[in-house]
Amino acid sequence: MLYLKDLTIQRGNKIVFSNFNAVIRSGSTTLIKGKNGSGKSTLLRAIAGFTPLEGGVIKQNKNDIFKNNEEWVKNLIFLDTKNGLSKDLTVAENLNAWLTIKGWSSNKEVIKMALKSVSMEKYADLYISQCSEGLKKRAALSRLYLSFSNNVDFWILDEPTNELDTSSLVLFKKLVFKFLKQNGTIILASHDPTIIEKKV
Amino acid sequence: MNSVYSSWSSIFIAHIKRDILTNSRSLIDLISIVGFMILIIILFPLGLGPIQEKLNIVSNAVIWVGLILAIMPSLEKLLQKDFENGWLDQIATSPIPLEIIMLSKGISYWLIMLIPLIITSPIFAIFLDMDLKNIPWLVISISSGSLAISLIGLSGSALILGARRGNILLPILIIPLMTPILIFGVGVNEAIKINASPYGNLFLLLALTLVYLVISPFISALLVRIAIGR
Repeated sequence: MLYLKDLTIQRGNKIVFSNFNAVIRSGSTTLIKGKNGSGKSTLLRAIAGFTPLEGGVIKQNKNDIFKNNEEWVKNLIFLDTKNGLSKDLTVAENLNAWLTIKGWSSNKEVIKMALKSVSMEKYADLYISQCSEGLKKRAALSRLYLSFSNNVDFWILDEPTNELDTSSLVLFKKLVFKFLKQNGTIILASHDPTIIEKKV
Repeated sequence: MNSVYSSWSSIFIAHIKRDILTNSRSLIDLISIVGFMILIIILFPLGLGPIQEKLNIVSNAVIWVGLILAIMPSLEKLLQKDFENGWLDQIATSPIPLEIIMLSKGISYWLIMLIPLIITSPIFAIFLDMDLKNIPWLVISISSGSLAISLIGLSGSALILGARRGNILLPILIIPLMTPILIFGVGVNEAIKINASPYGNLFLLLALTLVYLVISPFISALLVRIAIGR
């Protein structure tokens, strides 16, 4: 369970949220909807532990995520619109670098399987600078597959389906439902309400 | 579910390898540093005039000042690319402290950008008519001082993340911090010139490098957290 209690978040001089409360159950999907600039990304970044709170507390079970940040980040995968990919590395090299900074074991087979989950295996040696926006998004989403072998409990996703075509969307939804089956928790911001429909 | 977590040291080394790989694919920064340095080495004697003794007096300082100025444009990009492409966000979700990753960034920058300058510094010294007996001391002093310069640059780069006109701010903010490194670095060779012991200056230079090795990762990590929290 994730408890968001009396959250107040400020960006510059503007208060984005004031006394915001929510409870997010394990094994659920929480879709955050809102207009552009309404603070969806800010809320996700706060839940990920990046944006400091002006007031309130975020607790995973009984632990304050800001005080136990090291434990909290072990359990989550955060993806936003920037993707976190270096344009000077290939798709596979980017995934390998990400695996190592997460402290997870990396080998060719693991990378191949992760890329296969989003139908990216034939682009493994393509530089990110040569990828289309859709391919970049799929390369970033391939990280989600690695949740299944590395004790990840939370996905925090900001606009994960932007730039995805229909077939990639189906692959993404397959990953989502597999994660939910394993009692994973997904918090995502999107303008697309169909993103959590159970049709695959 | 089975998870295998790597040790801090293996993540630290893996991140250095990642940075070296990234920079090896786009050598423009390294080429611009070495090119800028060569220009300084060529232009300075032309501006100084034909009296050879003058060049010998200032050669040591020219190499140090040239090194500091040559790396400025690349320092601005040290963390900026990773900030813009979201890699710093991913680093923040690593189980190892951000301070360790920042230390790896400072060391990888030193390995990629400054080791080539250290290797080529004897050639620059010969062009500037430095006495041959001074050249090993120049290499020793630059080797130790340049690591401190990298670490100061890392903190400066973290400070300007997301700032407008950061390229103008950066030199103003960090060159004053590099001044003690310059003074003790130049002091090593100046001591040799007057047949005095260089060890006093060299040990002070090493002490400063150790101080920056300790404090710079903490300052940089703090500034990165502020930048990604905005």
